Amino acid sequence: MLELLKRYRELIVVAVLLMLPLGVFFAHVRTPGERTAVDRAVLAATRPVEKLVGWGVAGTLRAWDRYVALRHAREEAWQLRQRVERLELERLRWEQIQAENQRLVRLLDFASASPERAFLGARVVGVQLDPKGLQLVTIDRGAADGVRRMMPVVTAQGVVGRVHGVTAGTADVLLLVDRNSAVAARVERSRARATVRGLGGPDLCRLDYALRADDLIEGDALVTSGTDGVFPRGLPLGKVTHLRRQPYGLYQTAEVTPAVDPAKLEEVLVVTSSEVPPQQAPAAQASQGTR
Amino acid sequence: MRKVLAEVGLAVGLAVIQAALLRTLGGGRYPVALALPVVVWLGLKAATAEGAVGAAAIGWVLDALSGAPPGLHAFLSVLLFLGSRLAGTLLDVGGRATFGLACGAGTFLLGLGAMLLWRATPQAAAPGWPVLARVLLEAALTALAAPAIRALLVRIDRLVEPEETGLLG
Repeated sequence: MLELLKRYRELIVVAVLLMLPLGVFFAHVRTPGERTAVDRAVLAATRPVEKLVGWGVAGTLRAWDRYVALRHAREEAWQLRQRVERLELERLRWEQIQAENQRLVRLLDFASASPERAFLGARVVGVQLDPKGLQLVTIDRGAADGVRRMMPVVTAQGVVGRVHGVTAGTADVLLLVDRNSAVAARVERSRARATVRGLGGPDLCRLDYALRADDLIEGDALVTSGTDGVFPRGLPLGKVTHLRRQPYGLYQTAEVTPAVDPAKLEEVLVVTSSEVPPQQAPAAQASQGTR
Repeated sequence: MRKVLAEVGLAVGLAVIQAALLRTLGGGRYPVALALPVVVWLGLKAATAEGAVGAAAIGWVLDALSGAPPGLHAFLSVLLFLGSRLAGTLLDVGGRATFGLACGAGTFLLGLGAMLLWRATPQAAAPGWPVLARVLLEAALTALAAPAIRALLVRIDRLVEPEETGLLG
């Protein structure tokens, strides 16, 4: 018998491997009521193997799915990060536009409040605050736009300076803080007269020729007096600080903090005329000129 | 024996990758049977008993993956193994192209056999004849993929049992 089995081993193995799965198949496709005892035995014997194979396959598939999902999650995270960066840039751009809009609105309000003057809006395209040289800013309006030397340049906060040099498309503005600048001033509270002179630094001026007897205190606001033939009167210049009144001499001296910080200038108004013809609406002209 | 085990391992790996890929790529729009070339290879190269056991094991895995009633693919895989063995004795299917053709034909016959077996049962879920077109597509795609799988099998065979240097080698 053993000899017979050995002799036909391969045949028997193949036959079993053919019959067993076929039996399992037919046992499975039968309804439970139709299954014979042999069917049930075959199913019981093969169930653990099925479970094992199914468990292994399902586990591998789960692992695969998780890997694929993770890969997608990484890609999605990358895309979202890119989007966040794009949106952040866009937000910053909108913030800049909003800030610019607010500045322009202030300039327009300022221009509208002075109907007797004609303004030309300009954008600052260059800044030169070298302590060894002139304190200048360059604006994008020049002779072709009607800008001339000595024209006052202002913002809604106050005086910036005066036009120092002009080319066809640009103009250099000598700032109030330059040591060559001198503007006739008046104390807004007491109407006392003085001169505001630049010191060559970015944020400091000096008050000259204020009579010792004049009513002047620290914190007083200074405005242009209009007597120097350059700046129209009433434009803010700055505030008085570090007032020094000696017991002798004709004048008292003080430092002045300028109303306009030249380092933060972006848009300015050039005062092209202190008087405009009545038929030309100043506010409309300013809004056309302001960019 | 080690060779057959390695080849069955490869078949299981291919079947699992195929199932996962087809699931990921959208529900088996492009049917392919990556494990069947291994059964054909076993039929051509392995010993009868070992090869038949290997083919049955691959069939069990295919049953588990395809959701078919257990035993269907196991039975048909052993049958494909025997058919390949017969083809190997009658024809030359050792080359890449002929191996691919043999795999395509085997896949088609296995699909056809599965359909016939299904239809022989009283189950209402048995696939209808329109599935035959998909079986043909599956056979064609398997035939295309078979040469690459054959190259893998050759490499595995060399890795598991390197050829001994002969007297002249």
